[in-house]
Amino acid sequence: MSPRLQAWLLAIPATLLVAVFLGLPVLSTFATTIGTDGSPLSNYSAYFESRFRMTVLWRTMEVALITTLVSVAVGFPTAWIVAKSPGRLKSILIIAAVFPLLTGVVVRSFAWLVILGRNGILNEFLQKVGLTAEPLSMLYTQGSVIIAMIYLFVPLMILTLVGVLEGIPEDLTDAAASLGATPASTFRQVVLPMAVPGLIVGAVLVFTGSFTSYATPQLLGGERQMMMGTFLYQRAMVTFDWVGASTIAVIMVVVTLATVIAMSRLARRMNPVAG
Amino acid sequence: MTVSLDLSDVTAHYGNTKVLEDLSLHVAEGELVSLLGASGCGKTTTLRLVAGFLEPTSGRIKLGETDLTRLPAHSRDIGLVFQTYALFPHLSVRDNVAFGLKQRGEGRAARQRKADEMIERVGLAGFADRFQANLSGGQRQRVALARALVIEPRLLMFDEPLSNLDAKLRVDMRVEIRRLQQINGTTALYVTHDQEEAFSISDRVAIMNAGRIMQLDTPEVLYSRPANLFVADFVGFENVIPMRAVAEAGDAVRAEIEGGGMIDLPKQHYTVPAQEFVLASRPEGLLVDTADRTDGLPAKLGLRTYLGRAYQYQCDTTAGPVKANGPLGTPREEGEIVTLIPQPEQCCLLPREAK
Amino acid sequence: MQRRAHPALIAFAVLTFLFLIGPLVIIVGAALSDTSYLTFPPQGLTLHWFQNVFEISAFKRTMITSFQLAVGGTALSMAIGIPAAYAMARYRIELPRFLGNVFVLPILVPEIVLGFSLMKSVAVGSGVPIMGALLLGHALLVLPYCVRVVGASLNSFDFSIEEAAVSLGCPRWKAFFTVVLPNVKPGIIAGFILAFITSLNDVSISIFLTGPGVSTLPIQLLAHMEQFFDPTIASVSVLLMFVTVAVMAIVERTLGLTFLTK
Repeated sequence: MSPRLQAWLLAIPATLLVAVFLGLPVLSTFATTIGTDGSPLSNYSAYFESRFRMTVLWRTMEVALITTLVSVAVGFPTAWIVAKSPGRLKSILIIAAVFPLLTGVVVRSFAWLVILGRNGILNEFLQKVGLTAEPLSMLYTQGSVIIAMIYLFVPLMILTLVGVLEGIPEDLTDAAASLGATPASTFRQVVLPMAVPGLIVGAVLVFTGSFTSYATPQLLGGERQMMMGTFLYQRAMVTFDWVGASTIAVIMVVVTLATVIAMSRLARRMNPVAG
Repeated sequence: MTVSLDLSDVTAHYGNTKVLEDLSLHVAEGELVSLLGASGCGKTTTLRLVAGFLEPTSGRIKLGETDLTRLPAHSRDIGLVFQTYALFPHLSVRDNVAFGLKQRGEGRAARQRKADEMIERVGLAGFADRFQANLSGGQRQRVALARALVIEPRLLMFDEPLSNLDAKLRVDMRVEIRRLQQINGTTALYVTHDQEEAFSISDRVAIMNAGRIMQLDTPEVLYSRPANLFVADFVGFENVIPMRAVAEAGDAVRAEIEGGGMIDLPKQHYTVPAQEFVLASRPEGLLVDTADRTDGLPAKLGLRTYLGRAYQYQCDTTAGPVKANGPLGTPREEGEIVTLIPQPEQCCLLPREAK
Repeated sequence: MQRRAHPALIAFAVLTFLFLIGPLVIIVGAALSDTSYLTFPPQGLTLHWFQNVFEISAFKRTMITSFQLAVGGTALSMAIGIPAAYAMARYRIELPRFLGNVFVLPILVPEIVLGFSLMKSVAVGSGVPIMGALLLGHALLVLPYCVRVVGASLNSFDFSIEEAAVSLGCPRWKAFFTVVLPNVKPGIIAGFILAFITSLNDVSISIFLTGPGVSTLPIQLLAHMEQFFDPTIASVSVLLMFVTVAVMAIVERTLGLTFLTK
């Protein structure tokens, strides 16, 4: 048996699992959305014409975008400090980032429920120091969803960027300094351009992750802040509108794919090492 | 403007480990001084201190009249060539070379022109738009050189710049480095572990060990007159034969070889540094001759190897095993009893040191 | 004597880490509070709420289901993922490209879409029992982790060792088990444990596939939260954090946690 054939045989079970239980069901979801009356895309035009449904789509985009931008802004400087920390401290910081990452999304969202709730810790604190007389309703707002999302994705961003920043040899920043570059210009002219591919990877992970999240918007946004994930669940499991749910699902896949493709194009164009 | 570099009593630590101890070094205007030693001897630490990537625990570093000790790295005006070249992978050759000019606020046109000129001078005309990924090791080395030279720094520093190149290219590049350094007569500090490289291009070489300079002198002096056993061993005086001066014998000093035997050392060639001393020599500094001579070390021959220009013998003497050379015409057999005659120009006498 | 980062930057990083760890500390505090509502800092200390977790049968039942599912799904995923990772590492030409595309699918298809599609086509459409559908969903969920982590170990494995074993008379299949596997064991353990925790924490797939009688712990937690707001949930969360700590300890001992930054 040729080695090539052997290799393919070894790969068959995994390929089959993905093809049969992921490929086919997702294709069937795609097929479900094909309109039966008139235009095959009628379900999509219905979606895009509905003000409510579009609100959900735009809200999800907005939340995902803000989450991504804030995660980059918070994650990048933090990752820089982690990457530059001496051995032992670095391990501790990495542990501190990995721990929340490996703690479940329900637990992490729950923490914000405790903090932001009507009788939550923040309200209690605000009333105690007299900043407010009545408890504020902070839950089920776009803000509460966004803060929990940021909380969810900052560790991922940090860990992605630490890897990237550690990959920039110290010699390069030393070389920039020896050539007269101040720390600020070294950052701007050397570190940042070299970190761009990693930033893009991190941004894609955060954007697609927050765009398709379910538990966090469910717990912190509820019905009032419906997002694509919760909307899909509601259509599928509450109103049993499978065509509508499939349409939402396909839109999510398309947005995810488009983001990944666009960003990997961008990454390739901005790849600093390409010559 | 050429300036001198002065390190005075510089001590440095990594954590609690002392890596440099009271190191003082003067590099004169336009001079190229090499720091030579095995890894961990403190040579790279010294260079990084001068570059400003590390701070000394105590001591001062001056470049001309400027005190560098607490100056940030980017204000030191030093052209540094890294062992890894440290080319910016996201910049073209031209932008790499122009990087330092940009930091100095030079206009776009001026820095491109200067960069292109320098690229041409290092022999890379036509490569200006390439990226590091598309350059060979030797070409990267030249870009690194051009990048350090184009800013016309007051000091040039080289950190093992040739260690990633193959042997032939190394020889070509070191000539090139020396040539370029001499064009502007820039003061230079060169770090290497390769003795031949250091000796071939330096005005003076500092041989370092355990955070100290063991000897700082011209290559010629280091090669023929090492000042201590460490340097002697470093430059190839492999045989170390302990002796004790016992008497005057006419024009010579008679010495007793450790373990037995006498040798007469002519005063015109040798100065005995102390009563207890050692004779250090390269293998070619001990010539195998017949057993009847009295002005050498008695020895029994061991394994013979062929070196092309001579035979080399592993020998047993009363003072221990040594290596000696013998002429090609008369190959000798294992077990023969011979005399090893020290050749004054390949031998030196050094005071004994506590091990 | 190395140069330090700017103090403002350090302060920023400290605040970030407080932000990351603070909420988890609050949960631990709330779980220990001797009050019937969630509060921090805890008022009085009690382990009563932990006891309560095991008294509520729904938690106990779903906990068992979740563990079974995480072990079963990961085992299934490993059983088919290891051969694939081996094939990719061993026969580098052309195969990784194709398989790379196959294994990127579970990443490109959002989990919630996978969950919905599995529910629609497999659970309802083909009548696969709930546990079976859940198992498939979780195996698919963790397959990329298995292939990636084991693949990383295999990529740094020197296959000439395998060839040496074969040249010494060991059959290929035996060489795989006696020479290759022991040398990538750390990768397999780390991959298993990372997949395990991913499966254990999953909501997006399970939410569609759980039904009457069969649920997972995170789904049960979600449901519980919508009705009750007492420290029991905080206690379950703390128990889950213990699992996280155990997972981290194992990853640290096998591949090292810095693996997660690569």
